[in-house]
Amino acid sequence: MADEDDARTTETPAAAGAPPKLGRRDLLMGLSTVPALGLFGYAWRRQQQYRRGREDAAATTPAAVAGLQEINVALLGAGAQGQVLMEAMLRIPGVRFRAVCDIWTEYNLRRVVNTLKRFKQEPNGYADYREMLDKEKEVDAVIVATPDFWHARHTIDALKAGKSVYCEKEMSNTLEGARSMVLAQRESGKLLQIGHQRRSNPRYLHCYHKLLGEAKLLGRIVTVNGQWNRAVTPDLGAPDRYAIPDATLKQYGFKDMHQFRNWRWYKGLGGGPIVDLGSHQIDIYNWFLDAPPSGVMASGGLLYHDPKTHEWYDTVMVIYDYDTPLGPAKAYYQTQTTNGSQGYYESFMGDQGTLLISESELNYTGQLYRDPNAPAWDEWIQKGYVSAPKEQEVKEKSGSGAIADVRESVPPDQHTVPVSLRDPYHQPHLQNFFDAVRGKAALNCPAEIGYESAVSVLKVNEAIEAKSPLSLKPEDFKV
Amino acid sequence: MQATTFEHAPMIAITALRVLVGWHFLYEGLTKLTAPSWTAAGYLKQAKGPLAESFRWLASRPDLLANADLITMWGLTIVGLCLILGLFTRLASLAGIAFILLFYLAAPPLIGYFYAIPSEGSYLIVNKNLVELFALVVILFTRSGHFAGLDRIVRAVTRRRPRLAEA
Repeated sequence: MADEDDARTTETPAAAGAPPKLGRRDLLMGLSTVPALGLFGYAWRRQQQYRRGREDAAATTPAAVAGLQEINVALLGAGAQGQVLMEAMLRIPGVRFRAVCDIWTEYNLRRVVNTLKRFKQEPNGYADYREMLDKEKEVDAVIVATPDFWHARHTIDALKAGKSVYCEKEMSNTLEGARSMVLAQRESGKLLQIGHQRRSNPRYLHCYHKLLGEAKLLGRIVTVNGQWNRAVTPDLGAPDRYAIPDATLKQYGFKDMHQFRNWRWYKGLGGGPIVDLGSHQIDIYNWFLDAPPSGVMASGGLLYHDPKTHEWYDTVMVIYDYDTPLGPAKAYYQTQTTNGSQGYYESFMGDQGTLLISESELNYTGQLYRDPNAPAWDEWIQKGYVSAPKEQEVKEKSGSGAIADVRESVPPDQHTVPVSLRDPYHQPHLQNFFDAVRGKAALNCPAEIGYESAVSVLKVNEAIEAKSPLSLKPEDFKV
Repeated sequence: MQATTFEHAPMIAITALRVLVGWHFLYEGLTKLTAPSWTAAGYLKQAKGPLAESFRWLASRPDLLANADLITMWGLTIVGLCLILGLFTRLASLAGIAFILLFYLAAPPLIGYFYAIPSEGSYLIVNKNLVELFALVVILFTRSGHFAGLDRIVRAVTRRRPRLAEA
């Protein structure tokens, strides 16, 4: 056997004289590893089936529901956030992308259209949103993920064109803009969902309805604390060959490509980190406390970043007053962009317990602490509302050698929120929007709620400038 | 001229090794291709070691990053296919070595380096990337595609009649 191999694979002068021939053995040996590819194909298919099955099981609604009304969608703004929303929407059954619009045609638009094509969607690409609204008559819903200062125009024009709108937060960078959106929504009678996606997150819904509402585990919430710490991130760049022509940038309100890429830092375009990061969590303060704030004092500054390319405060610390249905409360919030440790969370402290929750379940599992004086939680553990308590580590054994002082409170039992979100963060909120478009659900964050949050957050920047506390009246939150 | 002899057992073992490495490449490539918008940005931003700066710079340039993503996704897939089939084995091995070398250099397990991910295994200087890299070096030098693989057929079909003048 070895001899035959030798003859075939040897360039000896003796063999050279013979005409080349593909022997039977060459053919067999040549194809001998092809079956491995077949085996791979089989394993790949099984793996894909398994994954799809798991995704379907984890999805908020089962995939491919018979007779599901297909919703035609246009994505307006195909940048980083637009792409996050697109990925979440690709997992939602019954959604068809008809159009994508972005002024960065050479990069964002091309990238998103190409990605969608890979997923058997055939969207038309547009640079001009008015052209898109004019031509795409079949579109039912527009997803607005443009820079904040464009939200009002884009949303209002889409509503006027008869579309339902999902608009990213912050609703607008100005209160007038946000107010005009509420009015346009009422006038059009169409749906307007604002992208405070925690409002549809099953973990937050469980906390609001079951833990705070039904079980009242925290008792009366008196203090709230929350933060979003983000590490220093370099400014976003853009390669020259993909640059948008100056005239186009100016037409859409940007000074240059750098401003286009980093609009969040510029006054008149975005609202800075307190708006980008804080609004999500301050919205939860209002929701869980069942009231908008009655006062705000804040301090902020541009402490670290280059003032030439950063106009908004990179560090903000806020204290809100609340008149909740159960009594007064105070809430602290900070955002800073120079250190990411301890990430982001919201912590609600009542006289009977504490809830520490974060959208990032990986970093904060949803800790619940029962105050030693509070009634037992056994009933709620049995009902599956909270996990069984975790045994608290005895301090002396912790290895630090630290000893508890007699004046310290007895450590409370630690439980966790037993609900997980296994989908992308934005998926349930988009799902809620599409369900509402089909008339099968109410919006979790309609325009009025978005407006309340916008007022709560935009007033922070106002309070920083005023250098004094601002009092807020209930009518400030109404349109 | 010395004849090339294939000893059977080692060549079968090396061919099996080639198929296994190819399988891994193919799956890594296809997984990235089928994810909605996979990007190497996260991996590059975490880079450590002597070339960390270059990798991070790459991650901050959307145009270059898009190319790097495409090259990685398709490169891994094609190298994987070629290794399994034994087609253009040496070229595929070389390309595979280049890929893994980059992966290794982006996250080398040097003395005093700690990584949050991947969490499995314990490595000092040598990690599985390096082992797979040297598996490809072995495949590169042993002509396993000529033993069992489409290269054998390609070679048999394209072998030219040697020119008499050379004799």
